[in-house]
Amino acid sequence: MNMKKVAGLTFAAVLTMSSLAGCGGNNNNAADNAATAAPAAASNASASSEPSQEPVTLKWALWDWEATAYYKPLIEAYQKAHPNVTIEFVDLGSTDYMTMLSTQLSGGADLDVLTIKDIPGYSNLVKQNHLEPLKGYMGDNSIDPALYGGTVEQIEVDGEVYALPFRSDFWVVYYNKDLFDKAGVEYPSNDMTIAQYDELARKLTSGSGAEKVYGAHYHTWRSAVQLFGILDGKNTVVDGNYDFLKPTYEQILKEQEDGIVMDYATLKTSSTHYSGVFYNNSVAMMNMGSWFIATQIEKVKSGESQATNWGIVKYPHPEGVEAGTTLGTITSLAVNQKSEHKEAALEFMKFVTGEEGAGVIASTGTIPAIKNDAVISSIASIEGFPADENSKAALTTVKTYLEMPMHEKSADIELILNEAHDNIMTKNVTIDEGIKDMNTRVGQLLGN
Amino acid sequence: MQNETALRPKQTPKRLLSKGVRDHLVAYSFIAPNFIGFAIFTLVPMFFAFVLAFVKWDGANPMEFIGFDNFARLIKDTTFHKALWNTIVYTVGVVPFTMAVALALAILLNQQIIARNFMRTVFFFPYVASLVAVAAVWNFIFSPTMGPVNNILHLITGVPIEELPRWAADKQWAMFTVILFTVWKNMGYYMVIYLAGLQGINPELYEAAELDGANAWRRFRNVTVPQLAPTTFFVLMILIINSFKVYDIFINLFAGADNQLNDSTRVMVYQIYNTAFRSLDYGYASAMAIVLFLLVLGITIVQFRGEKKYGQ
Repeated sequence: MNMKKVAGLTFAAVLTMSSLAGCGGNNNNAADNAATAAPAAASNASASSEPSQEPVTLKWALWDWEATAYYKPLIEAYQKAHPNVTIEFVDLGSTDYMTMLSTQLSGGADLDVLTIKDIPGYSNLVKQNHLEPLKGYMGDNSIDPALYGGTVEQIEVDGEVYALPFRSDFWVVYYNKDLFDKAGVEYPSNDMTIAQYDELARKLTSGSGAEKVYGAHYHTWRSAVQLFGILDGKNTVVDGNYDFLKPTYEQILKEQEDGIVMDYATLKTSSTHYSGVFYNNSVAMMNMGSWFIATQIEKVKSGESQATNWGIVKYPHPEGVEAGTTLGTITSLAVNQKSEHKEAALEFMKFVTGEEGAGVIASTGTIPAIKNDAVISSIASIEGFPADENSKAALTTVKTYLEMPMHEKSADIELILNEAHDNIMTKNVTIDEGIKDMNTRVGQLLGN
Repeated sequence: MQNETALRPKQTPKRLLSKGVRDHLVAYSFIAPNFIGFAIFTLVPMFFAFVLAFVKWDGANPMEFIGFDNFARLIKDTTFHKALWNTIVYTVGVVPFTMAVALALAILLNQQIIARNFMRTVFFFPYVASLVAVAAVWNFIFSPTMGPVNNILHLITGVPIEELPRWAADKQWAMFTVILFTVWKNMGYYMVIYLAGLQGINPELYEAAELDGANAWRRFRNVTVPQLAPTTFFVLMILIINSFKVYDIFINLFAGADNQLNDSTRVMVYQIYNTAFRSLDYGYASAMAIVLFLLVLGITIVQFRGEKKYGQ
């Protein structure tokens, strides 16, 4: 009986502890991988001193291999010039990519080149000492940070840089020309205030049921709504005071109540993707990042997108702010500090983030970080890109605010902001309560 | 006499181990493959997690021993309290509800009814169906404006759709929605366990009760319930443990593109995951996990006592 009791308790303990084991489990797996891969890597270890001809295999951590147009051309272009280098990709999936990456690296995974998806994740990796500092390398190879339009400076940590951007997306407004024609409204211009955007969205809303056309569309990301508030440059989302967000939320919730835009709660629970509603002609305008350009072009070609007659214009801006002011997000490459092939990895990073890489990326319709005239012309001349002058002009920006600025605690701040945003948009709390919640919780976090 | 004593020392060296020890070794050698796996992948990480609860560690930089600081932080952490509270509310909702539904189904499907096996399959199906798929379907059915549930409610009650509960998106209704979902998803599994229990009851007991003039309710109350006590205990224990450990159901029902749960749906395991892997605070997360462990351990000990007292 006593033995039975002990056995039963042990059984219960084991069941409950599997949540604990999860913590160590991941590490174990990663360590296992590293252990099995170590002998293979060791044979190449000598390559680091003389990187030119020895065969080297680099492992590149990335997400959405299948859905991303430029990975393959980049690798092919690089391997052509460096026949001794083989580049293997490790797809960690797009959901929670940065969390996966950090866990893999902590477990000692033998990744060499790391794609950096967002700033909070980057900030964490820097704190964990996983990333190779690049200032020295940039100096030796005369890589000029000015080429990247001020984004490199925005990701500096204590005067050091740990990643270089290769993609620099910014937000624009996509619009459906057919729906504008049908409503008899003139197309939007490249200089539109947020108030004008609201007015235009109201004019374009019509119909009901399956025929309903929504004037605008906000995806369920916080950035699609909240960050209108930072475009005047007076506030950032890491300061700890969020009172300035009130007018923005008031405007967007009003639009939601008036049926100008789709209901956030419905969109979220049905996991509606923003592309779907644009493809099937149910939204007239949509604010979204420039990454959607390539997808939209491709889906029009394949017939999946019925919004065949479309265009883009610059992001709406607050009164008194220059047109071309927008939000941006960068995707960067970094090198694992513990990489066995650091030289080769840095070399590859230099290629992808440099002008050659920018050319390859632009040829797939994606906006590279180095955005010169050649790159803009290249994107605008892609078959399927809207032919009007405004759409091409919309590709230039004057000022780009990063969606999430570099901050030591940006990962934690982001969690709080996302949650408050969700509560406000689902009307689980009032705007004032939501803002108060952000003020208190971020305040506590920064005070610590 | 002399011969015997002379012979004995010759025989014993042949057998280095007694029969009892050898039997044990054989048994252990059979257990070993499983146990070694368990030790490496569960036991060691478990002890490691206990150690982690007393350090500050981000997974890469050196650990820093901080004693009970992590636990002191837990006492003041309102986010954690909310997660703990949500988990308890969820458990209190799910456990009795699931047991009642599973037992009722088991009793119904233990009768001689038409298409019994088909019906058993029907009720077991949600359990084997992919969580991701059925959660998506539920989210569609319970969608605030487009879903059939609210549209039917609107037709019946005449209440405008905007004023009806918004289910998974509604702070007040989210927990109810997820409890309903969990009961529906898992009832089939516990139904099968109850069915096995019911079939293990000696039919003579029912005959005897019937002869004594017991009606259907008395037979249920005085034969079925006590006879099922060990099954009920097992179901109760597994249900409570699983409810405390819940994570996947909440993520699939509530988390959007950012994979985040909000204040009304945040559960303990989610909070542990977030603290460890998003905020890179492994030590603090382990402290939370230990609280979770102790809670479940405490409940289980109470249950074992109860089992001993009322079970047999």
